Amino acid sequence: MKFSVSSSDLLKQLQIAGGAIASNPVLPILEDFLFNIKGNKLSITATDLETTIVTEIEVNADGGGIIAVPAKILMDTLKELPQQPVTFNINEENFGIEITSAYGKYRLAGENGQEYPQIPEAEGVDAIELTTASMSQAISKTLFATSNDELRPAMTGVYVEVDFNHITYVATDAHKLVKYTFKGTSSEVSTNFIIPRKALNLLKNALNNAGDLKLSFNKSNAFFEMGHIKMVCRLIDARYPDYNAVIPTDSPNQLTISRADFQNSLKRIAIYANKTTNQVILNINDGSLTVSAQDLDFSNEATEQLACTYDGEPMTIGFNARFLIEMLNVLESDEIKIELSSPNRAGILKPVDEIEDEDILMLVMPVMLSN
Amino acid sequence: MNNKRAILHLDLDTFFVSCERLIDSRLIGKPILVGGTGDRGVVSAASYETRLFGVHSGMPMKMARQLCPEAILIKGNAGTYTKYSKQVTEILKEKVPILEKASVDEFYADLTGMDKFFGCYKFASELRQRVISKTGLPISFGLSINKTVSKVATGEAKPNNQIKIDEGYEKPFLAPLSIKKIPQVGDKTYQTFCNLGIKRVRKVQEMPVEMMESVFGKNGRSIWKKANGIDHTALVEFHERKSISSERTYGRDTTDMNQLKTSIKAMAENLAFQLRNGEKLTSCVAVKIRYSDFNTYTKQCKIPYTAADHILIPKIEELFNTLYNRRLRIRLVGVKFSDLVPGRYQIGLFEDVKKTVNLYKAMDDLRQRYGARSVMRASTFGAKTIGGVTNPFNGEPPIVLAHRTA
Repeated sequence: MKFSVSSSDLLKQLQIAGGAIASNPVLPILEDFLFNIKGNKLSITATDLETTIVTEIEVNADGGGIIAVPAKILMDTLKELPQQPVTFNINEENFGIEITSAYGKYRLAGENGQEYPQIPEAEGVDAIELTTASMSQAISKTLFATSNDELRPAMTGVYVEVDFNHITYVATDAHKLVKYTFKGTSSEVSTNFIIPRKALNLLKNALNNAGDLKLSFNKSNAFFEMGHIKMVCRLIDARYPDYNAVIPTDSPNQLTISRADFQNSLKRIAIYANKTTNQVILNINDGSLTVSAQDLDFSNEATEQLACTYDGEPMTIGFNARFLIEMLNVLESDEIKIELSSPNRAGILKPVDEIEDEDILMLVMPVMLSN
Repeated sequence: MNNKRAILHLDLDTFFVSCERLIDSRLIGKPILVGGTGDRGVVSAASYETRLFGVHSGMPMKMARQLCPEAILIKGNAGTYTKYSKQVTEILKEKVPILEKASVDEFYADLTGMDKFFGCYKFASELRQRVISKTGLPISFGLSINKTVSKVATGEAKPNNQIKIDEGYEKPFLAPLSIKKIPQVGDKTYQTFCNLGIKRVRKVQEMPVEMMESVFGKNGRSIWKKANGIDHTALVEFHERKSISSERTYGRDTTDMNQLKTSIKAMAENLAFQLRNGEKLTSCVAVKIRYSDFNTYTKQCKIPYTAADHILIPKIEELFNTLYNRRLRIRLVGVKFSDLVPGRYQIGLFEDVKKTVNLYKAMDDLRQRYGARSVMRASTFGAKTIGGVTNPFNGEPPIVLAHRTA
């Protein structure tokens, strides 16, 4: 089996797929790409058994077959080559691979492609059509709010609720929560599932901003198809917490403020907060918001005052500045609205200018202030 | 400019005993032992009358009673001692430029530069008289150019006296003393010195520093420096607390799971309150068990930053359950929170309903007004008093009764 291909085109596809490869895989063969040649098509597969990416590229092939190629050494080689045609010559007896470039020859040992794990087939699936743009929006708006806590697996992914005419994406780490709804879809089913964070991260990198995306799913897997790239990921099998129950419905105190001003102020004040806890205090009065922080260990202290519109009881409430900054980062509106009820209950962030077909709500828990 | 420092070390003589005598004047002139009165107790403080019999602090109370049967035993009350200690601190703070409170009854003051106006020795003497007349507590001091020499000098001055080591006479002053008097030389190091045939500081002064290093490693150099009266350490005005802990030795070794769990829960509850009160969060919790054979085990575990009872107590219980595996009676249990950072508890979305948060607030308010034990979990009712009520983060050293067995 033999094929030749442009080094940089191949590298580009390998980089898309390579993200799926785990740093310390359970099986040695998972350190490899699976190359499958049929006619003039080379399909490249990479997996960590949870997430699999398959991508395709046109090659000049002579004969077909499959082979597992060590990922790191192949990518390192291609990275160091200027763009040029490279030829792969594969010995199907001992799985030896010989790469020929304009400069010379490189030999590496491959593995039997037949031993590469099987990729789940899309069986009994429901499908919806999306645009890559809307998917990429959903990912960037929610991914930051997912949790790292492996003890609560449900929260390490984004919860997707598919309804007949809209999709809702929810992410939370038990301190902050994002609920993003996209209305421009239609589906024949109403269901829900949790997509792991890693898969969404890979998807974000693989998405090119134009084009359509087909999302199919069954009980255990989600399948994404966009152009020549396919991704399969195992869904998180856990019960997602009842997020609707924790969204307060009675928040009588409303603060409206410029998003950029508030965010910049927080960034400055956070420099003076304790580096581990990042806690800042918001003191809200009629028409003015005071943001302050202190770090007793270093005698650092900072206060800023911002103009705002406030309708409600004067309030002092503490937050983790990092959470607020992250949330303000993904909102696009010039002005934002913060709804509060009391100093130990959740604060709700919403954009003032809404985007058509979109609905976003963010929630952040305060820190407990002593009197 | 004369860049020699003037460091004053003050030490309240038999502090706990002196406090007891202030409260009850009948105790004056009588042999007194302060410390744990149970079988397991150790002597925290012994009056000079009892020392004639060979009693010293740190000794098991049982042994002390055998040596000095006529001694009057007093259980001691950390609260009272703190109060008196504070009085002394206030007096000193008012007068000296830099004050380090090294423990409840020990202070360092940096008098460098005061010479110009008063004369350090005169100033120190007046300061000592002031403490004595205002509080009625006997106090001794040593004055020299650094902390080590001053501390040793105070030891020599005691009881109720003062001493000044003139600049340049540090070495001759230390030379005839027992090597044991150098701070940092404990029982073990002293034993090693004895094995080498060294009893007096003079010998160490005469030794090359390399030799000390080859015997004691890194410590060798610092002991040698101290023995030669060299010590450049500065005064620490504020002691940053790196951890807070609580432990309890049982009067009788036990395997009573109920009692043990009640103890550790009560400790965790109390420490968690101290955290919230001091606006701190912990991310490392540890449990300690000492079995009746004196083997001591600890187990610790990292957690996300928190100060909440409902996270800390179950975690402590879980650690205890995994640590207790020897089917042996337990002598001591302890709980420690470390990796402290300033901050307030981050309320969670799902597990912290509004009620929980309000409950903590209410409990903490009650405790601030009526004391740490005014309100507690029913499951910790059975535990005897644990720990004090004071804020551990005020920069003062912990009010541990001296010589708690390690």
